[in-house]
Amino acid sequence: MSATKVVDAGFAEPSLPRSNGALSFDAPWQARAMAMTVLAVEHTGREWEDFRRQLIAAISSDPSRPYWDSWVAALDCLLGEAGLI
Amino acid sequence: MSEDHHHLLPTTPVEERVNVLEALLTENGIIDPMAMDEVIAYYEHEVGPMNGAKVVARAWIDPSYCARLLADGTAAIAELGFGGPEGSHMVVVQNTPVVHNVVVCTLCSCYPWPVLGLPPNWYKSPPYRSRMVREPRVLLAEMGCPIPDDVEIRVWDSSAEVRYLVLPMRPESTEAWSEDALAGLVTRDAMIGVARL
Repeated sequence: MSATKVVDAGFAEPSLPRSNGALSFDAPWQARAMAMTVLAVEHTGREWEDFRRQLIAAISSDPSRPYWDSWVAALDCLLGEAGLI
Repeated sequence: MSEDHHHLLPTTPVEERVNVLEALLTENGIIDPMAMDEVIAYYEHEVGPMNGAKVVARAWIDPSYCARLLADGTAAIAELGFGGPEGSHMVVVQNTPVVHNVVVCTLCSCYPWPVLGLPPNWYKSPPYRSRMVREPRVLLAEMGCPIPDDVEIRVWDSSAEVRYLVLPMRPESTEAWSEDALAGLVTRDAMIGVARL
């Protein structure tokens, strides 16, 4: 039921890093959000830094929200600001 | 049921939003779904800690490269062909017998993509982001990386425009090793500073 409900694993002991092999994405939509962001920033001709500022703002506005949810909120802001959506 | 037989898994609101944004951007010709696949494949397979490992191995065997790397990380890393988003202001910090460096981003998840790939989940977690600043020695020990008391720990916060990369110490008894073999010793965690080689 919650197969796609992605909650950042947080800092549970077993997830502590001891090897090189951790996955970067928990679900395909996260990879797509990342790729879309890279391409949208490229398209606008802006600096990656502009997105980073949005991401910081999105995380600080709701620190308990899962990371990739904040990422999508930041992407939404960036696209809105750039007049792309 | 028959209505959504093609949807094997329920989608969350955020996933829906990603779908909507992707459809909008595709429709408006701003992104190309093929290009998205290329970006994903690139970050999953082409960039990653192996790039950083090559940088570290080169610095170990070539003192003049090492000096350039410490003086201007971005330029020296570009010499090996690595650069791009999240890699425009790279600073390399060198571990020594008396200094251990570790990297964190307290505000979000800044991370040197071109040399380390995308950040692992724990790097983005609030406990790592806050505790690495507050109690690095305790946290490092918990992460399986105890630092001797007589070694100073320097915590580098990537929240400016800078991305930090830790240059670990070259392990002992590797004098005769080739550059490639040395690169194979270097781990992602060692280049973040949460492991020692």
